[in-house]
Amino acid sequence: MSKKFIQRLGLKDKLLAIMVPLLVLAAWQGAVSQKLCSDLILTPPLTLLNTLVELAQSGDLTLNILASLKRVMIGFLLGGTSGFVLGILMALSPFLNRIFGPLIKALQQVPEFAWMPLIIMFLGIDESAKYFFVAIGAFYPMVLNTYQGVSGVPEKYHELARVFDYKSFRYLFKVIIPSALPSIITGIRLSLGLSWMFVVGAELFGSDSGVGYLMTWGRAVFQIDLVMAGLVLVGVIGFAMNLVLEIAEKRFLLWREPVDGRPA
Amino acid sequence: MPNNKGTLEIRSLSKSFIVDNNSLQILNDINLTVHSGAFVTIVGSSGCGKTTLLRIMLGLENHYTGEALIDGKQIIGPGSDRGIVFQDHRLLPWLTVGENVAFGLDKLKRKEKKLLVDEHLKLVGLNGFESAYPSQLSGGMAQRVAIARALASKPEILLLDEPLGALDALTRMYMQQELERLWLLEKITMIMVTHDIDEAIYLSDKVVIMSSRPGVIKKIIDVPLSRPRNRASSDFTRIKAEILEEFHLGTEYPFAYAI
Ligand SMILES: Nc1ncnc2c1ncn2[C@@H]1O[C@H](COP(=O)(O)OP(=O)(O)OP(=O)(O)O)[C@@H](O)[C@H]1O
Ligand SMILES: [Mg+2]
Repeated sequence: MSKKFIQRLGLKDKLLAIMVPLLVLAAWQGAVSQKLCSDLILTPPLTLLNTLVELAQSGDLTLNILASLKRVMIGFLLGGTSGFVLGILMALSPFLNRIFGPLIKALQQVPEFAWMPLIIMFLGIDESAKYFFVAIGAFYPMVLNTYQGVSGVPEKYHELARVFDYKSFRYLFKVIIPSALPSIITGIRLSLGLSWMFVVGAELFGSDSGVGYLMTWGRAVFQIDLVMAGLVLVGVIGFAMNLVLEIAEKRFLLWREPVDGRPA
Repeated sequence: MPNNKGTLEIRSLSKSFIVDNNSLQILNDINLTVHSGAFVTIVGSSGCGKTTLLRIMLGLENHYTGEALIDGKQIIGPGSDRGIVFQDHRLLPWLTVGENVAFGLDKLKRKEKKLLVDEHLKLVGLNGFESAYPSQLSGGMAQRVAIARALASKPEILLLDEPLGALDALTRMYMQQELERLWLLEKITMIMVTHDIDEAIYLSDKVVIMSSRPGVIKKIIDVPLSRPRNRASSDFTRIKAEILEEFHLGTEYPFAYAI
């Protein structure tokens, strides 16, 4: 492989990024096989891989990932959509902003896991409780970023809309949302990221499926490899979701990329 | 097509902005009549209120004393009878060039839209750039797209705020010819702000000279030359000297002031 080719693929960056994890894994594997620590406490990476393969073969892996993803999607759609709509309304109506702005700022001070007891009291620990919990996580970044994006639409675009007689929904969809899109996409990314964290959190509290459940169950039967496999899964899936969104962002914000480094 | 619409009248208009709780007078007792189908240019030093005056004509500024009328009716806001080329081109960065030109044509059918977009992009010499984004254009190209956008929605009065400012001398002269051709063809009223006195004389029936602090109309000079005009003719030069005189840039010391 030529040097140029490596550069073109950005391989150098990727190699650098996985260097430290690989070293850690190697040291880890080495430490366990040299009996420096018990493999009951610190599952060696190869065993971990084995556990994951077994989980996949038994079908448990797919089942639990799907269970978590379903909760993420529903919670994210509920929380994200309401955050998106409220963010737009607040940015466009000073009146609504005065009503909801302080409330949201105050509620935001409540650590999100502190909602859990209340949610369990009202909704129990069934699916709807998990959707609700994830929705709370998804809501804040979406409402804040949407609000910021929409209230930051430059006056010159509002004027242009007036000149060309863009009103109501046409105005919203053709001018306001596109202009606020960079901010909205940031909101979506943060929102989905938090949804993923929250779903795992919710599953740790009580659940009979999901990636979080794999981990609590692993702990209950003292199968440390299951707990760690769960950790790996959480990381990898979160990373993959972020990656997909990054690619989507590039695609949607193509217009922001100038040919010669000039800002748009 | 007989067209006697698009007469604009400004009567004893004054405008102030509130800056730091102080009222700052920007325009003072402006009186101006632009007849239907006329080409009028406004020249004046930077900050004398040219853009503000255009914005009043467009309907984006509403707090002033005096009257601003179109065909005898008070201007209460923007309308499809007026088009604008803003000083900053104001293209929407998330739309392609073609979509920007079509921005005012949203109510038309797809096919008609495409036809008008093609026609007007060709007019400003940018056919082939439909799918480029504004961030990929030079300043002059962006200005030309803005002109195409304003023309595409067929206004009766076209307001132009230094539309050719970012163009090189040759493109500029070409665009001046194109504007004149369009104006003759469409018989619309054009009101254009410019810093280029040659451009003003080449294009307009009347040159409105403003002076600043507060902005007043110092003089309106008629340009009774036949078209197309010869920039080197003695009449042209005479009118140019007359305008420069108003800026105290008499031909005796033009360079001392130009620097
Ligand atoms: N919204 C505003 N609030 C306060 N002052 C303003 C506002 N808009 C314009 N002005 C002031 O009004 C004056 C005239 O501005 P205007 O943009 O009309 O000038 P101009 O003649 O177009 O100048 P230029 O040739 O540089 O474009 C300036 O002193 C400017 O600071
Ligand atoms: Mg101006």
